[in-house]
Amino acid sequence: MFTIRFCFENGDPVEASAQEGDNLLEIARRHNVAIDAPCSGNASCGKCRVQLLKGQLKSERTRHITRAEYGAGWRLACVSTVCADADVLVPDIASAYRSRMKIADLGSGEEVAIFEQVVQNIKDAGIEWKNNFTLLNLELTEPTLDDTMPDNERLLRAVRIATGIGTGHIQMAFSALKKLPDSLRAANFKVQCVLERFKEELIIHDVIPAGERATIAGMAVDIGTTTVSALMVDMETGKILAKASTGNGQIRYGADVINRIIESTKTGGRARLQNAIVEETLFPLLEGLCHEARIPYDGVYRICVASNTTMNHLLVGVNSDPIRMEPYIPAFFETRSVKAIDLGIEISSDAKVILAPNVGSYVGGDITAGTLASGIWNRPEFSLFIDLGTNGELVFGNEDFLMTCACSAGPAFEGGDISCGMRATDGAIEACKIDPETLEPELTVVGGPNERPVGICGSGIIDAICQMFLCGIINAKGAFVKECRRIRRDEHGVASYVLAFRDEAGSVRDVEINEVDIDNFIRAKAAIFSGIHIMLASLDFDVSVIENVYVAGGIGSGINMKNAVTIGMLPDIPLEKYHYIGNSSLCGAYAMLLSDAAAKKVVDLSKNMTYMELSTNPAYMDEFVAACFLPHTNEMLFPSVTEELKH
Amino acid sequence: MPFKNKPQTFSAAIKPVELGTGDKAITIGGENVLPLYSFDAPIENAPKVGVEISDTMLETAPARLKEFYAGCETMADMAKKAAELPGVSFICLHFESADPNGADTSADDCVAAAKAVSEAVDLPLVIMGCKNNEKDSELFNKVSDALQGKNILVLAAKEETYKAVGASAGLAFNQKVGAESSVDINLAKQLNVLMTQLGVKQDSIVMNVGNAAAGYGFEYVVSTMERVRLAALGQNDTTLQMPIMTPVAAETWGVKEAIASEADMPEWGDVEERGVDMEVVTATAVLAAGSDAVILRHPESIATVSKLISELM
Repeated sequence: MFTIRFCFENGDPVEASAQEGDNLLEIARRHNVAIDAPCSGNASCGKCRVQLLKGQLKSERTRHITRAEYGAGWRLACVSTVCADADVLVPDIASAYRSRMKIADLGSGEEVAIFEQVVQNIKDAGIEWKNNFTLLNLELTEPTLDDTMPDNERLLRAVRIATGIGTGHIQMAFSALKKLPDSLRAANFKVQCVLERFKEELIIHDVIPAGERATIAGMAVDIGTTTVSALMVDMETGKILAKASTGNGQIRYGADVINRIIESTKTGGRARLQNAIVEETLFPLLEGLCHEARIPYDGVYRICVASNTTMNHLLVGVNSDPIRMEPYIPAFFETRSVKAIDLGIEISSDAKVILAPNVGSYVGGDITAGTLASGIWNRPEFSLFIDLGTNGELVFGNEDFLMTCACSAGPAFEGGDISCGMRATDGAIEACKIDPETLEPELTVVGGPNERPVGICGSGIIDAICQMFLCGIINAKGAFVKECRRIRRDEHGVASYVLAFRDEAGSVRDVEINEVDIDNFIRAKAAIFSGIHIMLASLDFDVSVIENVYVAGGIGSGINMKNAVTIGMLPDIPLEKYHYIGNSSLCGAYAMLLSDAAAKKVVDLSKNMTYMELSTNPAYMDEFVAACFLPHTNEMLFPSVTEELKH
Repeated sequence: MPFKNKPQTFSAAIKPVELGTGDKAITIGGENVLPLYSFDAPIENAPKVGVEISDTMLETAPARLKEFYAGCETMADMAKKAAELPGVSFICLHFESADPNGADTSADDCVAAAKAVSEAVDLPLVIMGCKNNEKDSELFNKVSDALQGKNILVLAAKEETYKAVGASAGLAFNQKVGAESSVDINLAKQLNVLMTQLGVKQDSIVMNVGNAAAGYGFEYVVSTMERVRLAALGQNDTTLQMPIMTPVAAETWGVKEAIASEADMPEWGDVEERGVDMEVVTATAVLAAGSDAVILRHPESIATVSKLISELM
């Protein structure tokens, strides 16, 4: 037995005992040490870098680690095995995804404005803004020796009279019953009841002494493959009481849904993945939100979740393996049977978890909720809704029909598969310009002008690739064709452009973008564009019919649409047709939480969407290869870009 | 009802590309009809057949092929012999031995051999490398330099090497450049775009859109060629209007039908016959799919394929 100590820049070390030959990444996972391993330990992404401080590890040098770095102790955790005692440093860059997530959603005034506008649009579309929760003030007759009715019957009788429900069924949540005697006696039998009212049925969720603050709180959550965002909301007023986001705790089991599903099929895997999302991700979020909003846990009465099909299967702990394999069948599209308590989330004991319904194996509740938010279902003209997450999903249509498909863009938009990629947290380069003469970059970094760049997020990569292309640094295939002080080649001949040298960066190495990154990104953008092209072609349309494009997702709030068109990621249509709508999935979940009509509308939308499976479409591969070019092999599809390139 | 011929000609045409100099110079491409459709409009430049002379092929050559080149010491000797074959319009020198993982013949030695050939015969020359990107770039650069003015074709520049090969062969030494892609219309087009963006003129580019021996994923080859042709002619896609040259021999003489011995496969019959058959079937199929020139190895295949062409034209 050997002892492996995982050390951190800030925080106490974690000690683990291990056998000779044990894999370091596996040990880290067993002991809940978060090491970012988007490729799930295939030695392909190079993200699981750790530094050997003391002792020994058996570890090959891979292409991700230079000789100098290897000499300094840098190893990939996934190819390292135990052969002696060792101390390893887990660098901040690997744990950044958990601790330092930028509150990517509604973090800035600009995003709050976008959010409010989208909510207003849903209301304007005629969705009734009402839910069936109410707060009922009651004054009960106090018990005496002559009136010995138990507390719960006393309350039920009063509620029955006050609500006029007659003989309808009334159910009292167990969490309400537990505190009932104290609540009643705290203010002389004057109480406020939190009720959920149905036609013939009523649930008493809570009983709060009169005079105490009583808020009917609900939580709206967007569970993305990479990022999870949540809002604590006052369900009476719609006011957002607190907001938070964090990385999805499952990320160490793989960056994309396929790797997660594979992980879940291993022994104990389903429980591990469910724990990662519930205990490691939702609990801390709930805790933070309740604390900030000053709400007790049992004062949260509903959770509304928008997430992709795989995420909602893993959340509820249902076998998701059939999603991955032909003919790609999920366990459910819609379910109303999940309670928070079933997932081990201890809020009000009868609180339901409402899942936005799925449409297909790779188009899930995040998209149906997002579609509601986009408003494309309420217009006569054709619109396109694009969610740029770890998967890219598209919805096209109008008030008469909706079509949807998913294109496996991979995690590049969120910084995965990119050597210096990161999510849009502090220190991420979110925008960049390159001077065509000097080839020097000008960077915008998340966190303000004093923040030092540590990596690059999706919107920054779009800018960087576009600028490198326009400056002639790379050719249309993404290969480097120029030389300057910022361009260098490693020992394998892979060229890179250094956006920030180490002395300018707060990172352990230079922030650069190399040919492999560019290649990965070009594939991601090609997946999106070819998806759009094929979906429209299947209806015998071309991009000219699109009147509005709504772009959503965690790619970074500042996505530069012009640059995205220049690299051929989005169709070449007038830029004013593009609208950024932020985290539409979270916005949709918020609407479903507050409005029963909105929740019903999302179900209706999901049932009326036609799902198109791109992976079985014979034309897809061809379109994809054609789109793997800047801007596109068929330049006729990008007339304005072609024109600009001539100058 | 009498048959009424409705010729299907296109307003677009394949760009003619000239190879070689003097009397023996040839032009490939130029047609505005589908492959071999000489009944729709005259095809001015009939498809051409070239003979492949590899610097390693005699080691493994079957009996009759060995006999044909009997007494030849150098590539120049072989070229002289091959140039006399009826139906041969150009010579393709294939420097397989330049491979650093093989004999690693130096680029200078290859260039000397090529120079000797160019002095011995007056047919146009096509130079094929060893598939090692670095070595091929060096070889193509040096041979283009040494044979300046001979209007040779180097086969070929690929996505990884187009910059070096295009800049030397195409721009500095004014030779013709092959553009090799792997059986995909989009990849073929992308490489043509990159080459022209580099400054190589369209009429200096000949495509090799990839090949396979018949039966070895060959339907991809056929459909790629057909689609390239239809896009070039039907949609006037100028980035795909370069003529196509297909090195057939290099594919067909390596498959098991061409090399499995009669002892191993008695029911398959004569091994050399099989090799010739593979070469002939593959060549005729790629000609029908859109190739403007094919490169063959065996004199018997050359006789058959050139007869086919002359009778169809």
